[in-house]
Amino acid sequence: MSLSLDRVSFAYPDSPPLLEDASLTFEPGSFTLVRGPSGAGKSTLLRLLCRLEEAQSGHIIFNDQPIEDIAPADLRRSVAYVQQMPTLLPTSIRDNLLLPFTFKANEGLEQPSNETLAGYLDSFLMSGITLHTEADTLSVGQAQRVCLIRSLLLHPRVLLMDEPTASLDAKSAQVVLDKAAELSVSGMTVVMISHSEETPEGVTDTVSIKDLKLERA
Amino acid sequence: MTNGIVEITTWQLIACTGLVVVAGITSMIQKLDLGRDLFVGTVRTFVQLFLMGYVLKFVFEMNTIWIVMTMFVCMVAAAVHIIRGRVKERSVKFIVPTFISMLLSYAVVSSVVTSIILGVDDWWTPQYFIPLSGMIVGNSMTAISISLERLFSDLKTRRSEVEMMLALGADYREASQDIQRGAIKAGMIPAINSLMGVGLVSLPGMMTGQILSGTDPTIAVRYQIVVMLMLVGSTAMGALIVTRLVRRRCFSPAQRLIVR
Repeated sequence: MSLSLDRVSFAYPDSPPLLEDASLTFEPGSFTLVRGPSGAGKSTLLRLLCRLEEAQSGHIIFNDQPIEDIAPADLRRSVAYVQQMPTLLPTSIRDNLLLPFTFKANEGLEQPSNETLAGYLDSFLMSGITLHTEADTLSVGQAQRVCLIRSLLLHPRVLLMDEPTASLDAKSAQVVLDKAAELSVSGMTVVMISHSEETPEGVTDTVSIKDLKLERA
Repeated sequence: MTNGIVEITTWQLIACTGLVVVAGITSMIQKLDLGRDLFVGTVRTFVQLFLMGYVLKFVFEMNTIWIVMTMFVCMVAAAVHIIRGRVKERSVKFIVPTFISMLLSYAVVSSVVTSIILGVDDWWTPQYFIPLSGMIVGNSMTAISISLERLFSDLKTRRSEVEMMLALGADYREASQDIQRGAIKAGMIPAINSLMGVGLVSLPGMMTGQILSGTDPTIAVRYQIVVMLMLVGSTAMGALIVTRLVRRRCFSPAQRLIVR
């Protein structure tokens, strides 16, 4: 499903604008890399797309509908956002993975079985980690992967990742990048912020924020 | 001496200011630079309390519900003004919800205590309603400022946790449930601590006052127990309602955390 910005402007209170009349479309199944210097508004862009920030003017359109017309929980189930610093609750990995299913808005969703959850852990190469492992014993890289799995369990159509590999070792970073590429091939729209100069395999577009606009490279 | 009460004459009161002079001399010797504050504080104590004494006398003599209620509303308004000074957050407008919830919950607690527990004919009888509600407002003012301060600071420091839950489909209540609990608890702890220490480490002001004015200590104790329990109840109620109303204002209708 496509996600686009239509003449979006945004500034934080008492701060200079980050975006002005910025427009761009993320095509279904694309894998977009967002680049730009620190403070240019890359994270803000992702936060706008899942409505954790509200644009001052313009619209963000998801699936032909302005996101203001979509219930926030429905939007966020479809447009998953994975934060830069992984945030887990101090409980078991299983409880962390099932956290979204405890929310009222997700009540109708079928809760994944332990086998499904363990399968995810395996596919993200989390050897030695079980569902009962306490989240606070994980490394940052492992925690980041658990956060990614947690978002994927809701079967989103769009995946927004804020520098998912910034604090990961090379091997963990590769696992995440390979997964992102795999997900986009399967039809998911993936938008990822990266500071790295390299362009990972599978990336279809590169976008940068320049002069308060979004530009494709 | 009347009815076992030792009246304090004006001269005796003036003599008491000698105690402040001692504090002033200490401040001078130790270069504490507190002289001005001590002076202003002492003058304010005299002026404010005498004024309050005359106001109370007037209210007791008038003995009408409207005057009692007006005074109650003024006390709550003054408390909200003090809370506003203590809580530094300005991006969320918390004054009106704080005022409304303090007004309603304390009116309920005070009137329940006067009418049901004390069995006074008119629940608003000034002699009972004003001192009791005054104590409630004064004590829970501290509780509410602690709760609000904690609510705002936790929403800021635990922003990533709150937004993680919002991003996974939680509504603002679910995303901040833990933070709200912590805020209420923080506000209630002083009241609970005073339940533990009362009579052992402190003799409460009201009870001491009653005893000094000639009341049988066992009667004063009963009053004090009612007051202590009333304070815990009203603190809990006040902190719960205020944090619920204010927390709601920390989020936009789109379930977005506004406090920065």
